Amino acid sequence: MSPLLERLRLTHPIHFVVGLTVWCIWFIAVYGGHAVACEVAAPATERGVFTLLNGWMLLLSIVTTALLAALTWWCWQAGQLHQGRARFNAVVSAGLYLFSALSVVFVALPIIGIPPCV
Amino acid sequence: MSSVSQKAIEQDPQQLHEDLHDIWGNPKGWKALTIVNHTTLGLRFMITGMVFFLIGGILAMLVRTQLAMPDQDFMSPDIYNQVTTMHGTVMMFLFAIPMLEGLAIYMIPKMIGARDLVCPRLTSLGYWCYLFGGIILTSSLILEMAPSSGWFMYTPLSSSEFSPDLGPDFWLLGITFVEISALSAGVEIVVSILRTRTQGMALHKMPLFAWYILAMALMIVVGFPPLILASVMLELERAVGMPFFEVAGGGDPILWQHLFWLFGHPEVYIIFLPAAGIISTLIPVFAGRPIVGYGWVVFAIIVTGFISFGLWVHHMFTVGIPQLAQAFFSAASMLVAVPTAIQVFVWLATLWLGKPKMKLPMLWVLGFLIIFVCGGLTGVMLALVPFNWQVHDTHFVVAHMHYVLVGGMFFPLIAGLYYWLPLFSGRMPSENLGRWGFWLTFLGFNGTFLIMHWTGLLGMPRRVYTYDTGMGWDIYNLLSSVSSFVMSAGIAMVLLDIALHFRFGKPAKQNPWNADTLEWANTMPPSAYNFVSLPKIETRHPLWDDPNLPVTMAEGKHSLAVATHGRREMWGTDPISGKVREIIHLPGNSWWPLFAAMALAVVCISLLVRVYALAGVFVLIAGVFLLRWSWENGAHPKAAPDANVSPGDPPLHSRTMDGPGVWAMGTFLIANGSFFLSYLFGWFYLWTVSPEWSMPDVSPLSLSGLVAAGLAITAGYMVMVKLIRGLRRQQDAGLASGFYLAGTLGAVQVALTTWVMLAADLAPTETTHDAVLLLGLIYALFHGGLAVVLTVMQALRVRYGYVGAHAPFEPAVVVQLWRYNAVVFWILVGSLAVLPRVIGG
Repeated sequence: MSPLLERLRLTHPIHFVVGLTVWCIWFIAVYGGHAVACEVAAPATERGVFTLLNGWMLLLSIVTTALLAALTWWCWQAGQLHQGRARFNAVVSAGLYLFSALSVVFVALPIIGIPPCV
Repeated sequence: MSSVSQKAIEQDPQQLHEDLHDIWGNPKGWKALTIVNHTTLGLRFMITGMVFFLIGGILAMLVRTQLAMPDQDFMSPDIYNQVTTMHGTVMMFLFAIPMLEGLAIYMIPKMIGARDLVCPRLTSLGYWCYLFGGIILTSSLILEMAPSSGWFMYTPLSSSEFSPDLGPDFWLLGITFVEISALSAGVEIVVSILRTRTQGMALHKMPLFAWYILAMALMIVVGFPPLILASVMLELERAVGMPFFEVAGGGDPILWQHLFWLFGHPEVYIIFLPAAGIISTLIPVFAGRPIVGYGWVVFAIIVTGFISFGLWVHHMFTVGIPQLAQAFFSAASMLVAVPTAIQVFVWLATLWLGKPKMKLPMLWVLGFLIIFVCGGLTGVMLALVPFNWQVHDTHFVVAHMHYVLVGGMFFPLIAGLYYWLPLFSGRMPSENLGRWGFWLTFLGFNGTFLIMHWTGLLGMPRRVYTYDTGMGWDIYNLLSSVSSFVMSAGIAMVLLDIALHFRFGKPAKQNPWNADTLEWANTMPPSAYNFVSLPKIETRHPLWDDPNLPVTMAEGKHSLAVATHGRREMWGTDPISGKVREIIHLPGNSWWPLFAAMALAVVCISLLVRVYALAGVFVLIAGVFLLRWSWENGAHPKAAPDANVSPGDPPLHSRTMDGPGVWAMGTFLIANGSFFLSYLFGWFYLWTVSPEWSMPDVSPLSLSGLVAAGLAITAGYMVMVKLIRGLRRQQDAGLASGFYLAGTLGAVQVALTTWVMLAADLAPTETTHDAVLLLGLIYALFHGGLAVVLTVMQALRVRYGYVGAHAPFEPAVVVQLWRYNAVVFWILVGSLAVLPRVIGG
């Protein structure tokens, strides 16, 4: 197996950092995208939370959560098939993916309640 | 339990020890300045850190003396500002981080079964940079020129207009110098933990302390470059007038805050994680059982390492950021409490299920648990935006910060020092004096800072040099000040105990606390090479599973118990499985790190006094020293001229293409990438947000010139890749000429980029736009030039016979720089020259 494919295995410790890296990218995209949108095309204040910007941020959050949730499940399943180091890696990775998914949900919650640019 | 080498058993252990000592031993007299050994340098880091701690502590006492009563004139406002700024700066940059790095430098090789860190000369360079940078910075106090803009050096207060003195320059140059040290240590600790663990020590068997230090080191690698960039930009603004943070020129002072806190908040966890590593090491030992939930702790460490980078804006809630963005950071700030809470529950569960012994180190552990949990709770309070607004810039924040930093770093550090004291000296501390020290420190600390929460809630702002008596803060400040002196007395008692124990402490028996980790298999104090032989590890608790292991290791009954080759050697292992891959040979003692650091110190002082020609000369001199240092590598006569190894042993790393240098370069490029991303963030931030930002209708940068330069560097990279592929097939025909060709292509890129820069006719002192462009082009030029020099040097080394199919290691290091340069250059072209043409200003 090539080194790249080896790293894609769900029992490889690279998965310790993939979930939280996805969280970081999502966080930067939402925070940065929101900041730029508010500078260049701020939606009208009277529209409250019902803006395209909130919609896009919510959609991105849902997709990211779904991806992380799927990876949680796959890693957990992989962990059940192995013992020793491979199991340790997969189970810890599953926990980290789950935490990342829940972190996206928790940090994204304000999107449904706060207007974007006030 | 451990592998036994039959050939090693036959050797006389005493003779083996003497032979190893001849190879690894430290020289005396002036030559002691050349020492690169991690044990000696770790101790130097810690002792120097304690000296700076005493300086920072005296400054703290001056602050509390001034604030003890209202309307005092013990210090003038300006001196008070200098003292508070330097207290924070010294404690954060010259004590906390270097002290913990020193502990990691000292402890990590011993814990993972290695003989040294993987880049010993880098350890030495790091120490000298730390020492010289620290001396330069603290000398400003004696000269009464100390910085006075706060330890976070906010612009515009620290800009030339409001701080025309040299104070901020001392800070910016001194701190950047010290950060070279932090980054050096960060890079080599990462590589050492990943690549030099003893045989069989797979990731999931690694001591938890090593996990914590790995996370800390990676956080340093990623977290420090934003501050280095910010410091470079502010110094350029102050020295030559490039207006990065001046609104009138198109800059934005808030950019400083972003870059500072991009570093500053992870910094808190960079300090906390190693301290938590000490706690996770000590509690199982004193509870007499393995930690509950090893995997949970690893989980918590990784989560902390990442989430802590998503909190920086909670330091900026009052600068006028949209509510939704504040809510994102408020939520992320609350999230970081989760991994911390997991660790607290793991520690409590381990104590609950074990049979804790209340020895002296455990007192400090309990003190940590109480204080740090309180600090964490006020941290969650501060994550809430309305409360944060209410207590912003009050003594409540000062109290919270000290609960987190003193509780989260100082108490565990003292616990760790007491725990490892027998290893340092071979003697035990005094329980009586130590307990007095603890209780005075604990009570004094809470008396000082618990009360400060109330003064803060009563509205007392931080960083004011005095206050009126009618504000109702008098009694609280007096109590805080009296308590702070009680705390000082406690710390003095601890230091006295440590000093006296070297003379009067009872001799320690082997493994005095019945610990499970490998550092206790050393002699006490340790030898320069740590272990006579390197064991194979099969569990997380090697000394609990095989209490006789220190004896068999000292008798040379395990691996690499060979000294006849005259090399400093240890295992290079697989980062995941811990299987042996190669023998890493290490360089011996060297003057080059000291010389390079001295040259850099002259650069620092020259910049400070603005003698730029001298600074330029010494940059070149430092470069020559560093290149000469790198010349003594691989197959060089001073490194490993022959590749002989014992039958059955793996090859020397310099005869492979995956030695530690490849990993060190990769880790360094992560730091470099962080610096570059911070630069890009600054560019796009200023472009989007800066109120007076102006951009010309047509970009001044020649797109065709930049594309030609990009093609040249890409072609150079392709040549390097082709040469590397040849080396992998053991083919080195035309290697030197190939390097010359790549170097020439690199020189073409440098020349074209220089032409683009000159032809653009930039006005970097008039507009921020041009200043940012110039900075980006200089970055590309520096990297392009470095790649050319290193590649030409490789060609020369081929001629000398130091590089070739027999020693293919170094080109594999250099090609990574080429790849990085090519990618970064194209990103720069896209960001600076293409995007402005596409979307305009």
